[in-house]
Amino acid sequence: MAHPPSVSDRLVRRLQWIWLGGALFLVGGMIVWILHLIGAAWRLDDVPSASIGISIVAIPIFLVFMGVVFYVFWGVALHRRKRED
Amino acid sequence: MAEIRDAHEDILFAPIEHTGRGFYWAVAFLSVLILWGAIAYAVQFTQGLGVTGLHQPVGWGFYVTNFVFFIGISHAGTLISAILRLSKAEWRRPITRMAEVITCMVIFIGAGQILVDLGRPDRMMNILHYGRYQSPLLWDATSISAYLMASLTYLYLPMIPDIAILRDRLQKRKLLYSVLALGWTGTEHQQRVLGRAIAIMAVLVIPIAVSVHSVVSFVFSMTLQPSWHSTIFGPYFVVGAIFSGIAGLIVTMIIFRKAYRLHYYLKPIHFRYLGQLLLIMALLWFYFTFAEYLTGYYGAEPEEMKIFWAKFTGPFWPFFWTMVLCNFAIPILCLASLRQHTVGKVLIASLSIIIGMWLERFIIVVPTLSFPRLPFPQGMYWPTWVEWGETAGSFGLFALFYLLFTKFFPIISIWEIREGRETGVKEVEERILSYLPGEADGKT
Amino acid sequence: MALWGMVIDLDRCTGCQACVMACKAENNVPAVGANEAKRGRVISWMQVLTETDEEHHASKTRFIPRPCLQCDDPPCTKVCPVYATYRNPEGIVAQIYARCIGCRFCMAACPYNAKYFNWYSYQKEAPGQNPDVSVREKGVVEKCTFCHHRLQKARERALAERREFDPAEYVPACAEACPAKAIVFGDLSDPASEVAQLARSPRAFKLLEELGTKPKVIYLTEGEGGG
Repeated sequence: MAHPPSVSDRLVRRLQWIWLGGALFLVGGMIVWILHLIGAAWRLDDVPSASIGISIVAIPIFLVFMGVVFYVFWGVALHRRKRED
Repeated sequence: MAEIRDAHEDILFAPIEHTGRGFYWAVAFLSVLILWGAIAYAVQFTQGLGVTGLHQPVGWGFYVTNFVFFIGISHAGTLISAILRLSKAEWRRPITRMAEVITCMVIFIGAGQILVDLGRPDRMMNILHYGRYQSPLLWDATSISAYLMASLTYLYLPMIPDIAILRDRLQKRKLLYSVLALGWTGTEHQQRVLGRAIAIMAVLVIPIAVSVHSVVSFVFSMTLQPSWHSTIFGPYFVVGAIFSGIAGLIVTMIIFRKAYRLHYYLKPIHFRYLGQLLLIMALLWFYFTFAEYLTGYYGAEPEEMKIFWAKFTGPFWPFFWTMVLCNFAIPILCLASLRQHTVGKVLIASLSIIIGMWLERFIIVVPTLSFPRLPFPQGMYWPTWVEWGETAGSFGLFALFYLLFTKFFPIISIWEIREGRETGVKEVEERILSYLPGEADGKT
Repeated sequence: MALWGMVIDLDRCTGCQACVMACKAENNVPAVGANEAKRGRVISWMQVLTETDEEHHASKTRFIPRPCLQCDDPPCTKVCPVYATYRNPEGIVAQIYARCIGCRFCMAACPYNAKYFNWYSYQKEAPGQNPDVSVREKGVVEKCTFCHHRLQKARERALAERREFDPAEYVPACAEACPAKAIVFGDLSDPASEVAQLARSPRAFKLLEELGTKPKVIYLTEGEGGG
């Protein structure tokens, strides 16, 4: 099924990249934030174990999100022209 | 890919394609609630939290209760949708989208309650700059953020094929749908990718959801206060969340089934199964509550007993016993037999549970604070119009978000229904055949 | 490093509340007004709690002046999300008004109810206040700080006069004001100090000691025939 020609393909493409960028920015931002908090707790020697403990669980989860989001964009948006029925 | 164009499907597109008067009436009503809430918050923001009924020693009241309550409702969605998907329950198909939308919308409202509760909301960025991970509030912030992102992803991914259908069928909002559909054309490769991604998210979202409400409970259980410092809080809150979440889901389903005439898709059997789940959760909730209070009563520690009796016979008895009535007695009566009047019974039970679970959160937060260990001057907590307004506005805002969603995207997952018709029946038949006695290699 | 602590002799305390008033004057604690007081929002960093004996409530009332107990394992600092309250190396649990976001978690966590909240902006800066202590706006938590500003002033005075700082120069307002000399303040880590000696008295006890908060305000129970 081809797109109706009334919608600009390039505009759609660009917006999709922005969409992806926004999603990765949010998730990546979370990881950066957690690392920042670990740094602060380390510097102030204020129970850094709590920060590190939580980051060990939280950061992999956020990395998996980034992976899933990117995987879907890659598989659905970028490869749609390949192997069409 | 040939599609069986079902005339009944038109009803699923109707809310997106047309807007009736009912929508505007609903928006008007919700706007009144939201306006009340907005005015209430404006007053609070300018004058201070003094406009609420909070005082010494009850520093937490409606807002924290609402916080726990709304985050609890969020468990409906993604948890039910994920568990039903992973267990391959075919009856989930018309329900998953509604459930997922609830989760996404209500998390915003829930997290917003904490911001409303802050004495200095202008300093909320301090949590970002100077957060301390020893504090359960930071665990909340991280966990709820993770849950929000997971839920949004878990809502969006299964929507992609539906957005593609909208892109191709509708004239309006072409750009929006084209961008969000990510160029979906339904090829086998794309379906495989999406299927895998959804499966990963379904597995991931469950421990995150469990962690969210556990961490919310830790805000209370990590203190030393009597009746709060209890090891049961984590599982208790999660059970309560799933309980209230299913009730919220059922009410939402019934409302939109009526409003959008979805009787063809949301049948009594769906409500019956959800009602049975609700019954199980009611029994589970009662078990946890019973264990909690029996333990307190048997140990008879003076400070705990002060609070115990305050709930059972003291100033909080109306709230406590209404809670038991709403969470246990009424649901058991309604849900014990669901063959007749399924939807009606399930609606009454769900409304009752929503009230009961809100009271349960209130009963957890306020009595403990009302009875300090030391002989501190005390007083009863009475909410003011500001807190009522904020609560009404929160419900209104959630309902409005939800309503607006249904105007843009189908509230029932169209492609999943189609999938159920095309492949579901055969898959289930094969699965059942594989259970029957036969050779180990699977060939019966 | 000093470890500042306090001993309060309940046998000497008459419940006159001079300590309460001295504290309010010294620390610019706002008078919230009759309406707010009725609603339960009095701010009283030093507060006298009255405990009546269950059997003999007509004759036995105990007055317990309760400042912030300045715990060595404070439940309030654990739960603060933004480093607005913390225990400094000298044992004083500090409160940073400029950082506090007003979540009131520390208030919910304190088993002694020693923390207070500014439900409104109860006062503005005005002449007649103590210039050494900041005036708090609405939306932040405050509590007794063992008159920490007096410690800073005493240290700076000693520095300016090029001499050693003498712990006896640092006295919080409540200890200074008590007419019965029921409040003794000093360095608990100095075994020769009066406060350390009194803390070792057989009459000494700590409030809610079983919770493990390790408070540094130690009470002396009433003598023979009382308490």
